[in-house]
Amino acid sequence: MTTAVAAKPGEQAEDNPVVETYTYYPGCTLYTKAKSLDRCARLAAEKVGFRLEEMPSWVCCGAIYNTSEDDFAGRIGAQRNIVRASALGDRLVTLCAACHNVLKRAQARLNDPANAVERQRVLDFLDEPYEREVRVLHYLEVLKNDIGWEALARKVVKPLAGLKVASYYGCLMVRPAAVLGFDDPENPQVMDELVRTLGGEPTGFDFKAECCGGYLVVNRPEAARVASARVLDNAKSWGAEAVVTTCPLCQYNLDKLRKPGKAGELPVFYFTQLLGLAVGLPKDELGFDSNAVDPVPLLEKRGLL
Amino acid sequence: MTDDRRPERAAEGQMPGELRPDGGVAPGTRLGAARHAPRVGVFVCHCGINIGGVVRVPELVERVRAIPGIAVATDYQYCCSDPGQQIIRDAIKEHSLDRVVVACCSPTLHETTFRRASADAGLNQYLCEIANIREQCAWVTPDRDEATDKAESIVRMAIARAVNDAPLEPVGVDVNKRALVIGAGIAGIQSALDIANAGYEVVLVEKEPSIGGHMAQLSETFPTLDCSQCILTPRTVEAGRHPNIRLYSYSEVAEVSGYVGNFKVRIRQKPRYVDFDACTGCGLCMEKCPGRSESSFERGLTKQKAIYRLLPQAVPNRPVINADVCIYLQKGKCGVCAKICPTQAIRYDDKEKFVEEEVGAIVMATGYELIDHVKMGNYGIGRVPDVIDGLAFERLLSASGPTQGEVKRPSDGKTPKKVVFVQCAGSRDQEHGMPYCSKICCMYTAKQAILYKHRVHDGEAYVCYIDVRTPGKGFEEFYKRATDEGITYIRGKVSKIFRRGDKTVVWTADTLAGRKVELEADLVVLASAVIANPEGVKLARQLKLQVDQHGFQTEAHPKLRPVETLTGGFFLAGCGQGPKDIPETVAQASAAAAKVLAMFGQKRLFHAPTTASVDEDVCVGCGNCEKTCAYGAVQVDPKRRVAVVNVALCEGCGACAVACPSGAMSHNNFSKKGTYEMVDRA
Amino acid sequence: MSTSDDGDRLVCQIEELSGQRVADCYQCGCCTAGCPLGDLMEPGPARAIRLLQLGHARELLDSDGIWLCASCMVCGSRCPRGVDYAHIAEACRQIRIRQRFSHAGPETVTAAACEEIPQQAFMAAFRKYSG
Repeated sequence: MTTAVAAKPGEQAEDNPVVETYTYYPGCTLYTKAKSLDRCARLAAEKVGFRLEEMPSWVCCGAIYNTSEDDFAGRIGAQRNIVRASALGDRLVTLCAACHNVLKRAQARLNDPANAVERQRVLDFLDEPYEREVRVLHYLEVLKNDIGWEALARKVVKPLAGLKVASYYGCLMVRPAAVLGFDDPENPQVMDELVRTLGGEPTGFDFKAECCGGYLVVNRPEAARVASARVLDNAKSWGAEAVVTTCPLCQYNLDKLRKPGKAGELPVFYFTQLLGLAVGLPKDELGFDSNAVDPVPLLEKRGLL
Repeated sequence: MTDDRRPERAAEGQMPGELRPDGGVAPGTRLGAARHAPRVGVFVCHCGINIGGVVRVPELVERVRAIPGIAVATDYQYCCSDPGQQIIRDAIKEHSLDRVVVACCSPTLHETTFRRASADAGLNQYLCEIANIREQCAWVTPDRDEATDKAESIVRMAIARAVNDAPLEPVGVDVNKRALVIGAGIAGIQSALDIANAGYEVVLVEKEPSIGGHMAQLSETFPTLDCSQCILTPRTVEAGRHPNIRLYSYSEVAEVSGYVGNFKVRIRQKPRYVDFDACTGCGLCMEKCPGRSESSFERGLTKQKAIYRLLPQAVPNRPVINADVCIYLQKGKCGVCAKICPTQAIRYDDKEKFVEEEVGAIVMATGYELIDHVKMGNYGIGRVPDVIDGLAFERLLSASGPTQGEVKRPSDGKTPKKVVFVQCAGSRDQEHGMPYCSKICCMYTAKQAILYKHRVHDGEAYVCYIDVRTPGKGFEEFYKRATDEGITYIRGKVSKIFRRGDKTVVWTADTLAGRKVELEADLVVLASAVIANPEGVKLARQLKLQVDQHGFQTEAHPKLRPVETLTGGFFLAGCGQGPKDIPETVAQASAAAAKVLAMFGQKRLFHAPTTASVDEDVCVGCGNCEKTCAYGAVQVDPKRRVAVVNVALCEGCGACAVACPSGAMSHNNFSKKGTYEMVDRA
Repeated sequence: MSTSDDGDRLVCQIEELSGQRVADCYQCGCCTAGCPLGDLMEPGPARAIRLLQLGHARELLDSDGIWLCASCMVCGSRCPRGVDYAHIAEACRQIRIRQRFSHAGPETVTAAACEEIPQQAFMAAFRKYSG
């Protein structure tokens, strides 16, 4: 057990200058409207003891995974990323829940022995060397499985003491469970474990993996508003004072789709913002100014800022 | 095996129906293997159009007649009929046949019939072989030419086998006329009482501190609404006091060895920490005990003391101490129960004990459990406090339950004014639960909804269902009563249950109206899937009984042998075999008892002689056979260094013969020579 | 209401595209019950599958319901028979889109929305709505 822990990258940072590096796929939204998700993740990784190295010449993942059996073109963008990442290593880390979902499913389809003919067609079309099978990982999986909660806890300099947080995973992190293999699709735990590791109080709630309305916000905002309001209401029922998420679109629907200025609204964090806060990133790196419901009063009340 | 009732070869004798019959060999019949070329008779059955509609039977008979050594070959519409059997009997006498091959259905159906007919005509029954040209040919080979060719091959193989058969005699063993019943729910109690009342001794083993099983947890029973306790307790009392029943409560079957008629059973008695004889069951100890634990009997609705009994009418009325939470046993302090006990019955140094019992038959009555909802997080059980399962609601309704029969919800003890019952919570769900219908939930849910309305007059009850299934006496009428009493049935499977303030919200659909429905309830009751009790599954596997993919014990035949197993001497009763309600359980338990009694009515039992046998001159005593045998039937004699087969234990599977490197081990009437010849003739 | 050759052909096409078998569905309604938009979707998932079971594919293809499905996959995740309606709705949209139908295109987006909403939403929406 001790040797296994010692080999973890989190430990190596202390005893050994070699820092584990992961190929990283940010995706479009993290470059624009979800900068704080990306920035906090990169900076927090350095603090925790690993590095994200952005893969060069990545292309759009496609935003949604096309399930039509014959729609090869709908998956080709995501698969191009997988093939390109294979030149850099056997792991590809994602942050955005949508990218994660699409890339993981595209990769599963590419590697499925039952789809050998399709795979060959795709690889012929891409005409780039597919060096090795690539495991698509979420940043949370790196924290849990590679770093480990115990090692991460030792990096916490500002425990989120007293902060009651509902972890919202949304659809894309957990479904389809058979392909993503991420967590219990009805009651996922990994972000709750993260919140606990950072010193906060995960409240648990019933809408961890219910839909926020997703892209319906584009042309059916009222539908998205109904769906996201239900998520927030349930989080309140469980005594949460903040919500944490991994997805820019979930964050938008939960945080910005509400009637502005309504009292008692819950701030909606990216998990990397809370991680960054706990491992000691300065306040101006945490990007709280991009949150519609200002989290600063709550964090000040809890003595965290 | 160190058993003095050594198995021996049978003389003529009576057979129990389910066991292989004695050949009934007439005096003076030639038993030695034929020294001249065998005279084989072949009888081809049409089985109406089952065989005759595909296989060209007359052509088959012509082809068979041409085979050398065939004394007679003929066909008949239904060989299993009386005239059909008579044809065989007559042919044996007329043609002096010494081998018979019947080409017909599977030997599991009519092998016994034709062997008996052969024996009637003076032929050793083990010289009659079946060629299965129905299941293995006609039913699966649509082309008539192909089917006829295939049937010929099958018949040729059966002839090759028959020619190599030797006359055998069944193996006879004595019967120990005591029964073991594992599990003392209503199934086990009923079996035990029936056997005991017939005058035989019964060993009844129950893992809980007292008997009664799940029925002791129920409030009222459907569709008559009589009180479960009131109808159960006369039986528990009778079983507890019956002179022919030896009850081991708080005990488990650790090991079973031996064979049908002669089992040795090792029973583990868990430490009670209470002297069974000294204790009077006064209950003072339980009043003062400060230790607490979750009560599985009360389904987690209340805590129980460290020294406890399951219910006031417990049989036996003796408490036990839960060592995990007893302060004295954990920390060496407290000892209140010992101080207060007026008869000094507390024994903190109690240890587990093992006892051995010898029995001839075993009834498995290991019962059921409710499914663990771990894969159904959307139902919120364990997370949302006011979501409980059906057995928990029984405890809320029960007069002896934690609320004395008042319906109060777990979260805050308030009386729920709106209760939603969720059917098929894990049943009919191949993806997250069990693919089968749990059979009892439709009726017990209707019952629970009716009882709720009786207790809470202004309460509203909703039942979310996929289909309401009422195939039982009085069941449809009972369902109508539920709707008459104002219970609302909504046809839709529940997708999600969650908390909203102090309410519990249920998302279902009304598929008849074609819309999504949201119900805001005070309490939600899940009709959780019935599964085989996991400990029963473990035990059945340990005893090498056949269980299905869900862990239910498998009956020997789904229609005609519903309480027997394929392992001789084991019988099935209750929900360990499949979900069933109380009357069906009791009927099956009595049927199992009847089967045990039929066995006990025999002087001796007979066992098929198609077992393994050893050529001691060739055997080198390597022990491969002993390691291979799943039944413990082969042992190497340490002095002579040769393998010895206990024919009473041998099931004739042939594994040892395959494992034997020297060829010393063979299987009666399944010799290597015969098998090679069968392959050659195919 | 009667089935037609056209309906049967379309049902086959939907089954092929989606990889789902509508005969597996036993109409328990769990999909509609759990759909986050089940109140608004017409037809809801269970009724939509029922239409296909009866061969009325055209009615489903012409409906609004298929465009409201956000592919959250909760229906398929909880289905006791392993049928994923999200795949079926996707197949229906694909059939329409391949006939050059556009449910909503970029022209429907206001400049203000463009400023606000994360672009992954546009990418997803227009791939779902107009191919």
